[in-house]
Amino acid sequence: MVTTEPLTDVDPATATGGTVAAARRGRKGRRALQPHGLPWILPGLVLSVGVLYYCIGYTAVISTWDWDGISPNPEQVGLRNYTQMFADPIFWGAIRNTVLFFVITFTVQTVLGMLFAVLLHSRVKLAVLYKVIIFIPVVLAPAIMAPVFRQFFGADGQFNWILEHIGLGAITQPWLGQSSTALWVLMAITVWQWTGLTFVLYYAAMGQIDQSILEAARIDGAGNLRVIWSIIWPGVRGTTVALAMLGAIGALKTFDWPWLVTVAGPNHATEFLGTIIYRQTIPNYHVGYGAAVSILLLVLALIMAIFLQVRGREKNEKAS
Amino acid sequence: MFTAHRGRRGLRTVAAVGTTLMAAAALTACAGGGSGGSEGSADSGTIDWWGWTPDVNVATSYIEAFNEEYPDIKVNYKQVPIEDWEAALRPALQTSSGPDIFGVQPGSRVDAFKTFAEDLTPLAEEALGADWQEKVSQIGIDGLTADGKLVAMSVGAVYAGSMWVNQALFDQVGLEHPTTLDEWIDACNTFRENNIGCFVQGASQEGFDQDTLQAIAERVEPGAWTEASKGERPWNDPAIVETFEIWKRLFTDGIMQEGAIGYAQYPDANNDFMAGEYAMIMMGSWYTQYAPEEGMLAAIGAAGVSNPEPFPLVPIEFPDVAGKGNPAGYFGDADYGLALSNKSDNKAAARTFITWLTTNEDAQQLVADKLNNIPALNGAVPNWENIKLPFPDVQLEALQSYTETVSDTELARFLHLNTDEQDAILAAAVSIAEGTATPQEAADTMQSTVEALG
Repeated sequence: MVTTEPLTDVDPATATGGTVAAARRGRKGRRALQPHGLPWILPGLVLSVGVLYYCIGYTAVISTWDWDGISPNPEQVGLRNYTQMFADPIFWGAIRNTVLFFVITFTVQTVLGMLFAVLLHSRVKLAVLYKVIIFIPVVLAPAIMAPVFRQFFGADGQFNWILEHIGLGAITQPWLGQSSTALWVLMAITVWQWTGLTFVLYYAAMGQIDQSILEAARIDGAGNLRVIWSIIWPGVRGTTVALAMLGAIGALKTFDWPWLVTVAGPNHATEFLGTIIYRQTIPNYHVGYGAAVSILLLVLALIMAIFLQVRGREKNEKAS
Repeated sequence: MFTAHRGRRGLRTVAAVGTTLMAAAALTACAGGGSGGSEGSADSGTIDWWGWTPDVNVATSYIEAFNEEYPDIKVNYKQVPIEDWEAALRPALQTSSGPDIFGVQPGSRVDAFKTFAEDLTPLAEEALGADWQEKVSQIGIDGLTADGKLVAMSVGAVYAGSMWVNQALFDQVGLEHPTTLDEWIDACNTFRENNIGCFVQGASQEGFDQDTLQAIAERVEPGAWTEASKGERPWNDPAIVETFEIWKRLFTDGIMQEGAIGYAQYPDANNDFMAGEYAMIMMGSWYTQYAPEEGMLAAIGAAGVSNPEPFPLVPIEFPDVAGKGNPAGYFGDADYGLALSNKSDNKAAARTFITWLTTNEDAQQLVADKLNNIPALNGAVPNWENIKLPFPDVQLEALQSYTETVSDTELARFLHLNTDEQDAILAAAVSIAEGTATPQEAADTMQSTVEALG
């Protein structure tokens, strides 16, 4: 029995008992007939390890130096850059901004993305046009749009002009020119840019939900909200977890919008880890300190990704 | 089996050796050439000059004039935006393919880049004699020297502390230039009543905040700011606190435009002023280049105005905001110096160009006439007869007086401050403006920050 199907593809998910053992031996036999893969991936592996992981390791080493990025004799300072970082209120402000930024932008993008996806899965006229309009911000470069938003949200910009013309002149203010509102403007810009991606992913994920389940729910009398909450939302959980991971890592890496729109100000109100890294490393010549923040950013990104992945799996297991 | 096994092992070995060689080659390439450069000819060759300033058209005019005397030296000028300058220059200087000549800002940058540059003291002595230091602006030497090494030779200097006004807007509402804080507040009220912006400042940028603060401090107590910058008096000294209090009044009494701390001096404030939306702006001697018609039309066009029309751009003294009768103070630094890369492959030709632009009388006259810098060579002043001003009756006398006056100062602008201290000044300025700290609190914080920096 065992030798009768050595080259047959077997799906591990469906294989049982002796069939599994046979499949394993079969694959082993097949591998023996194929050229060994290591030499073929070795150049790419060396390049990857040499460039990517070497750089990460080198950054970790630099993070223990007091170095201006130029001097041939950097000073070894051990963990001083890290202790300075943890004692720096600007760093903690950046962490607070990152958490707030992630929570708000992820929540709003998820709600809007789901809403657009549900609406456009129904029979809507000009649906293709709406999809394009929603997605266009995703492909626009921040460097192009930043001057537009600086103008739009300026003290005498179009946003205040609109507010005045709809009877809300009392709340006009310099949105980018005060600490209390600048971060919210950046969050609005981020939502504007990335909701299109959220929408596209949810739209695709909803297409994978079994129509018969939806029809059964309808027959059982479920309304729109009930269907969304009990059928669609659990059905796109994998997408939500992936978006949460992307959003969390994106929030940690945020640099372009705050730097281009507010230069991380005013008074560090829109400071993020990315802006600290750039400012300390390039204009301020504190390459060691910048490297320490970079390493912390890497660690936080890994922790965040692992946490969200594990949580997602746990929920999936409970659901199944 | 044996053959196949040996074949696989051979393949692995070849791949391993190949990848090791690849990695070694990549690392060698990353490490740079390590060349010490070469001399080449003093009269011929191609040299690369990198800078964030001057603008390309100004640099081109320098190069064209240089080529009239040295036709066989080709100079390629590359302007890198100021925000990318540090990021571009650092890796470039570590390879032999970087610039032969590079611009250097005075102050902390000189110390950072000194290892990449040759000492130009012998060049200065050769060009101007043993007493060369008496023939050029002292401010250009102080700011570009580190550890006794003349890292770069100054082309010219810029000075701040002045305000510039759109005289047409003053005439339109019948106002005189403000000379006190109260007059300034009144002027702003009048401009606002006429739907004209009064004073515009990009208060999100430290350098320009510092210009205004130092100008205020000069009116409070001359030299106090410079002493604090040097560490000779604390930042929470009463004179600095009073300076901060006046700074706060610029915001609370309606002088600064709304949202100033979210504004950048460039491009926001500059564009608004050039577009004729504001009557006053805090700018330094570099703004002189926009007084002539050609420079002004280009600047207005760059501000987004479709059919630019010149206006009478005039420098004025900073008002006596302290009411103490102290004179208006100016302060400056070398705008930029030219450094010779020690990895240059055409050092002799590069020396020829540096010497020519920084010490040659014709070249320095050209620098003076471009109005971007006050020339480094003593005695070179703009030839106003050859400069076409759109409103000479209003502008000429003011500009002549201004260019002669500003360079008399020996007070530095950024020379004594490192980037951390400048960040601390910006934090103090913005927190006072926002009201999150009182002037005294901001001054105390600044002092403790500077002490912590050592």
